[in-house]
Amino acid sequence: MRARAVALLDRHGVAVNHPQAVERLRAAGCRVDAGDKRVRIPAELTTEAVAAAPRSITLCGKDPRHDLRLPRADGTFWMRTGTGAHGFIEPHTSAYRKLVLDDVRTIATLADTLSEVGFIAHPFVNGVPEVTADVHGLGTLLAYSTKHNWIQPYGTENIAYLLRLAALTAGGEAALRARPIVSCIVCSFTPLEFKTMDVEALIQCARLGVPIHACSLPTAGGTAPVTMPGTVLMAVAEILAMVVLAHVLGPGTPVIATPLIFCLDMRSGRSLQSSVEALAGASMAVQVMKRGFGLPTHTYGAGSDTPDIDGQSQAERALIAFLVGLAGADVLGGVGQLECATVFSPVQAVIDNELGAMARNYLRTAAIDDESLAWDDLLKLDPGGNFLATEHTLRHCRTGFAPAAFTRQARDAYEAAGRRDLAAQARDMLDGILRAHPARPVVDAATEAEMRRVIAGADAKIAG
Amino acid sequence: MAEDLDTRLDAIYDAVLAYEAGRAAELVRQETARGTGCQQILTDALIAAMDEVGDQFAEGRLFVPEMLMAAKAMKAGLEVLRPLLSATDAKPIGTIVIGTVHKDLHDIGKNLVGMMMEGGGLKVIDLGVDVPPDRFLAAAQEHRPDVIGLSALLTTTMPNMRKTVDMLRGVGYNGRIMVGGAPVNAAFAEAIGADGFAPDAPGAVKLARKFIGAADA
Repeated sequence: MRARAVALLDRHGVAVNHPQAVERLRAAGCRVDAGDKRVRIPAELTTEAVAAAPRSITLCGKDPRHDLRLPRADGTFWMRTGTGAHGFIEPHTSAYRKLVLDDVRTIATLADTLSEVGFIAHPFVNGVPEVTADVHGLGTLLAYSTKHNWIQPYGTENIAYLLRLAALTAGGEAALRARPIVSCIVCSFTPLEFKTMDVEALIQCARLGVPIHACSLPTAGGTAPVTMPGTVLMAVAEILAMVVLAHVLGPGTPVIATPLIFCLDMRSGRSLQSSVEALAGASMAVQVMKRGFGLPTHTYGAGSDTPDIDGQSQAERALIAFLVGLAGADVLGGVGQLECATVFSPVQAVIDNELGAMARNYLRTAAIDDESLAWDDLLKLDPGGNFLATEHTLRHCRTGFAPAAFTRQARDAYEAAGRRDLAAQARDMLDGILRAHPARPVVDAATEAEMRRVIAGADAKIAG
Repeated sequence: MAEDLDTRLDAIYDAVLAYEAGRAAELVRQETARGTGCQQILTDALIAAMDEVGDQFAEGRLFVPEMLMAAKAMKAGLEVLRPLLSATDAKPIGTIVIGTVHKDLHDIGKNLVGMMMEGGGLKVIDLGVDVPPDRFLAAAQEHRPDVIGLSALLTTTMPNMRKTVDMLRGVGYNGRIMVGGAPVNAAFAEAIGADGFAPDAPGAVKLARKFIGAADA
């Protein structure tokens, strides 16, 4: 797979819709026919770019206590909230409605408190000018969360405004470069093409030292081969092409390999993120990028194709978290997302946090030593004895994972409590979190006012 | 001879359902050489086969790539008929202009809808991808379609559906407008003032035919 991905870039190449970038790639040794946008990347350049790419990356929180080191020290992962959702599931009625700016404040506040969520993405905001919805969404996230934020630009012109907001929050461009409190998604346009906006985002992020999530979103059977190894090959090749782009256009830019694998449902034509094939593909792609090329990786580690917080949702997202976690993913995205990635549910986000915590506990490798084997107690064991009252049990009785949302009630207590299910428990936890943490700006009034001016400027210039 | 004709039309119908484009075209060619009316071949063999394809898809028995290959076979037969249909002044049941809206470059779904629309007996004007509202408007004025179909894959380009609908309505386009694509649903269609939404390609054909008032809608 590694050799084929490198060979695909060498023999087929990628189309790059950015003339200046094409020129710089040509100068770096790529083969470009006159007047063509197809860039064939020699294997040596790909190898050089991969070798030069940072192996560890820090995504800084606005509060340094929320800094994220990739790979995570304990070998597990961080989670991030779903991005791009335009729908919102009301916690108490489960009714679907359009996601609005106030919901971004809810997401920011909630995600700030969720232990497993390392960073926060902005959804698609309704009720503001559509073409600057990204600027409004990021502005709110930056102002209301203390964790690292993820930028997803909707247009080429928007990139500068998004980065200006980030720099304002960080305390200036130099401060942003020193502590990148944002990272940015850069996407291929599968198959094997790059749009102007994404190349421009890469260039502007590189200038400010903002890490990029090099994202390939192939759809098996649609934009990529129907057989999953072929789709994974497509994703790996596109991500490697972005590693090369970063190496040439902004040497040293941190790149997080981000394969997001979809399948076209052959029966309906819908895009699926949680089919068996998509999960297998995501795991495969993560392994190739992480173990094959040594890069930090990020993929969906939550999410479901069902529209509601139902049993299918919990089963699919549990499978995803465990599979891609085992594959070695450093970031598990998609917290709270439903119906592929188009809807956000805060109740589901609370459950995802618990599922993520369970998966991380599972993935931690147990030390095998006298203490974990309880060797001394075993040697002292009397006939008919037990371990409940030993010093060893006392020392370790709190090290097991204690769920907050999952029930362990016996039937009588369960019936007495009105048969409350996982979603009901998560809903109560959500209410408690939002009561204890009302949405409050985390930036000072002057910065917030300046951010509002930037957003208004984007509206005037882009939305017209 | 009537039974023979039925058998021969059935063979064309079967060729479409077996995804055999070459055989479908050849059988249509043979049938026109015998003097069978183009409209009869179109209606009783080709469109009938695509109706069956749509039904099988709706029941989950036929998958998308199979539907696509059947549509290609149907189109091969239709290409043989097309010049003859023009010569006899036979008219399609209606005209539809389709395109993926501004800033959206995705065309797989839109192309499938286009092929199925042709299979359903409509004349299709495909404007391609990244189509700004004024190009839809120009096409509406030039072709006077019964239906305009807007496609989008991205949530970020859905607003361009509304802009296109607003522009078309603003100049008094009085045909039907339908929308489709992964992030779109019936509520969205209604909210932006479109006349309808279909979740898949056969559904889009049924809706277009219903709008036009065609049989079997």
